[in-house]
Amino acid sequence: MQQTRALAFVLVAPALLFLAATLGWPLVQAVQLSLQDVRVIGAPGAFVGLDNYSRVLSNPSFWNAAWLSVVWVVANAVLQTVLALAVALVLNEKFPGVRVARTWVILTWIVPTVVVVVIWRWLFSTSGGMINPLLIQAGIVERPVGFFATPWTAMATLVFINSWRWFPFIALMMLAGLTRIPDDLYEAARIDGANAWQRFRRITWPLLAPTLGVLAVIGTLLSFNVFDIIWLLTSGGPAGGSRTLPVLIYETAFKGYRLSEAATVSVLATLLLMAFAVVATRALDRGDDR
Amino acid sequence: MNRSLGLNAALVAVVAFFVVLVGLPFWWVVSGSFKIPQEIIARSPTMIPQSFTLQHYQKLFEASDYPVYLVNSLIVAASSTVLTLLLAIPAAYAFFRLVFPGRGILYRTILLAYAFPSIVVLIPLFGLFAKVGLVDRLPALVIVNVAFALPFSIWMLRSFLAGVPKEIEEAAVMDGAPTLTILRRIMIPLIAPGIASVGIYAFVTAWTEYVFASVLILSDAKRTLPVGFSGIIGQYQIDWGLLLAGATVAIVPVVAIFALIGRGFVSGLTEGAVK
Amino acid sequence: MKSILKLALATTMLMPVAALAQEPVEVTLWHMEQPPHRVARVQELIDAFNAANPDIVVKQEPQNWGEVYAKAPAALAAGQGPDMLFAIPDFTPILKDIGALTSVEDFVKELDAKHDFVDSTVEAYSYDGGVWAVPLYNMAMNLWYRKSVLEEAGIEAPTTWEEWRAAAEKLSVDGVSGMGLPANKQLYTDQTVYSVMVNGGATEIYNEDGTLRFDNPETVGAYEFYADLNTFSPADSTSWTWGEAEACFSSKACAMVMQFSVIATYDTQAEGDAADLGVAAIPSKDGGEHNTISYANAVMLLSKDEAKMEASKKFVSFLLEPENYGRFLNMEPGLFMPVTADGAEAETFWADPMVEKYREQIETVIDNAQNGRLFGFTSGRTFPSIAAISAQNIIAETLQSIVVSGQSAAEAVTAGQARMQEVAQ
Repeated sequence: MQQTRALAFVLVAPALLFLAATLGWPLVQAVQLSLQDVRVIGAPGAFVGLDNYSRVLSNPSFWNAAWLSVVWVVANAVLQTVLALAVALVLNEKFPGVRVARTWVILTWIVPTVVVVVIWRWLFSTSGGMINPLLIQAGIVERPVGFFATPWTAMATLVFINSWRWFPFIALMMLAGLTRIPDDLYEAARIDGANAWQRFRRITWPLLAPTLGVLAVIGTLLSFNVFDIIWLLTSGGPAGGSRTLPVLIYETAFKGYRLSEAATVSVLATLLLMAFAVVATRALDRGDDR
Repeated sequence: MNRSLGLNAALVAVVAFFVVLVGLPFWWVVSGSFKIPQEIIARSPTMIPQSFTLQHYQKLFEASDYPVYLVNSLIVAASSTVLTLLLAIPAAYAFFRLVFPGRGILYRTILLAYAFPSIVVLIPLFGLFAKVGLVDRLPALVIVNVAFALPFSIWMLRSFLAGVPKEIEEAAVMDGAPTLTILRRIMIPLIAPGIASVGIYAFVTAWTEYVFASVLILSDAKRTLPVGFSGIIGQYQIDWGLLLAGATVAIVPVVAIFALIGRGFVSGLTEGAVK
Repeated sequence: MKSILKLALATTMLMPVAALAQEPVEVTLWHMEQPPHRVARVQELIDAFNAANPDIVVKQEPQNWGEVYAKAPAALAAGQGPDMLFAIPDFTPILKDIGALTSVEDFVKELDAKHDFVDSTVEAYSYDGGVWAVPLYNMAMNLWYRKSVLEEAGIEAPTTWEEWRAAAEKLSVDGVSGMGLPANKQLYTDQTVYSVMVNGGATEIYNEDGTLRFDNPETVGAYEFYADLNTFSPADSTSWTWGEAEACFSSKACAMVMQFSVIATYDTQAEGDAADLGVAAIPSKDGGEHNTISYANAVMLLSKDEAKMEASKKFVSFLLEPENYGRFLNMEPGLFMPVTADGAEAETFWADPMVEKYREQIETVIDNAQNGRLFGFTSGRTFPSIAAISAQNIIAETLQSIVVSGQSAAEAVTAGQARMQEVAQ
């Protein structure tokens, strides 16, 4: 037993120490920074206690950003789940070319974000972009649409682009869950005369649910933190319509030069996410125990 | 498996939808990179290029250090992958098999690494790297990328380990094999496809990372591909042709890599257990 | 014999010292002119300089405007900053605040005596009792159009706001946008909005005592007019940066645009007919004097080390010498305009084939730039808060409140001033 503990320590320690040094320690620094009034990196700052917290919490733009973050996360979760589930279900079938499809579905995920951003910025633009002429030809719109012109459409467009990049990865994780559902279950259901929808409802969905649950938690954390796509495409605009918390943090730190305030927003965002993660993993554990 | 006609039609429709969704943007980008500038920004864009030119590629390779960026990216991504696996495999095994105090809490804490906006650590990390002389050096990027890939990798590997039939491991324990030998000789080969998928996950994370690479690297000769690519955008003018050529070249190497090992990734994911 | 030995010994002992003294001074230049052809041109100049000055080695590290605001302070704090760093006016106060800059007033005076700077370009870097950067190149907003298109519509280039609006309306046919104007929360929009403001009597945003006077009837009038004119712009103008405006003009989707220069894209991506490209000063409210925004780029000298500082100065002097300066400006022909009188006459500037081809347009642009202003840097009324106001694009943000959120110009300008006060704290 003693030996196992020592061994466990040796195996786990490198990874833990690594994370502590690269993520844990900087996080402590961020907390420290949030209690001071540093404006620019390298400038000195005095200890101000919780001043930054009361200022941030009473600032409507913080709450607006928090709300937009929730919208962002939920919209991404919904769209990605729908797209990914459709892909996963299809790829779980057998048809000619399925192996090729299984490999290349991942294409959008392996393209660097910056490239994704430039591709879509071009495609959605009104000079040379492909999307508008396509929509006009199809008779869906009459005049070119400004996809980033209103807060609502900008958010929707960003969600689409981010989901376009991430859904293949989620789909493959789902596919992994699907392939482990034994074929005989489906066979038995078929013999019982269940139709496709019933088979999905009674077998696929309940057995896939735990995978979906875990993916939902991690996916939420990952998509909450998405920053580069939003920043590079809209910088949080128009009129603050896509300014989620990570964008607000960056803007406060590097545009407004209020480093301490940015650190405060980060700490608050972290608390929010941790609360979510703890509640969500508890819920999942309970699901497991059943 | 027999499918009804309706189901088959639905299948074809869904496949077609996704082929368009994924394929069309890539087609536009790649074909656009061979068009002359006037055609790229034309008011009525063309699906099939009406012109052909290599001028954008010529400009790209003449004037920018694209090959250097490419090599840097490969070095960073490959090193990140190796280091991630070296750290993640032992940790995942310990979390999976060994009983030690604080296991549950530690395991959960690791996943909490994703619970804060990554830009939070940008400034403290810059200070830290400055102290140890890692600013403007590729190892700094490796460290950052591993930090971001590690938690998810441990979690994925642990579920792959959980998918190994108990009997195999128990047999080895009965034979009196030491824990490390079991890990090395039995478990690692058994979850090899899973390891491949985690490796690709780490590789792609490093390959696509932009924000940290853009701030931590100061000199042109050490830029990675995403940062080098963003550099050709330019402040006052956009040369769409150059950008499309740049995008194409940024996509091609990882597509090539994926063509070689992509099948392993997917089969690894689908054969291992993810719970 | 002994003495010879001594001499030899002394010589060998001295040798390393001498070698040390010959070790060249290395200085690093960060600039944000990242497109490959600009980097190549800067390298040519650096090579020439290094060859002529064996005791100095200059090297360049191109950076990106998007990142440098975060990167430069971080690198300086870590002791890894550059010796020379290109600047735009709102960037300099930030570095000055963290104590990274010393005044280069004497150096600028010396250069001014020699080359005669355009006053507004130095003004943008003069405050708090010092000059904090050396102007290098100028950019001023102009109105660009195609002569043939205006002719066909039977109109002249507009000179008043009324004519401008009428022209935009008349040119908006067959899916063409009469006037391409951005409404993004971004620097380009700051520049175009301010260009309209200076032509509507709203030049000053500060009072002499440093209080804000942004919220005044002239500003409101300018915003009202701009928002109205923006209705003749493409639907995606709220996400425009400079590049989109140029593409719109090049593809003939926009009949007119407000831009520093469209020459390079017009020549390479559009028809490139020099005789047809029209450029005019920004129309003014009642046809009086035409003003514009003048956006002078400069270089900050950051070395704490005296030898490096001297080397940097030598390099900057080298760039401003007429025989090099034209080649420097023509890293992007037609975009970067001279900040010095002798630069505007430099043979190296006018000899570039592209400049030669568009000589008429470029002469107009240089003329227009004479009346250049920059928000927050006018009439000596410069206050540190302009950096925050500018970095957060509050002028553009105010426009978005009208164009995107549907507020009235008066409401938006009042809110804009409140925002300016908030970030100035």
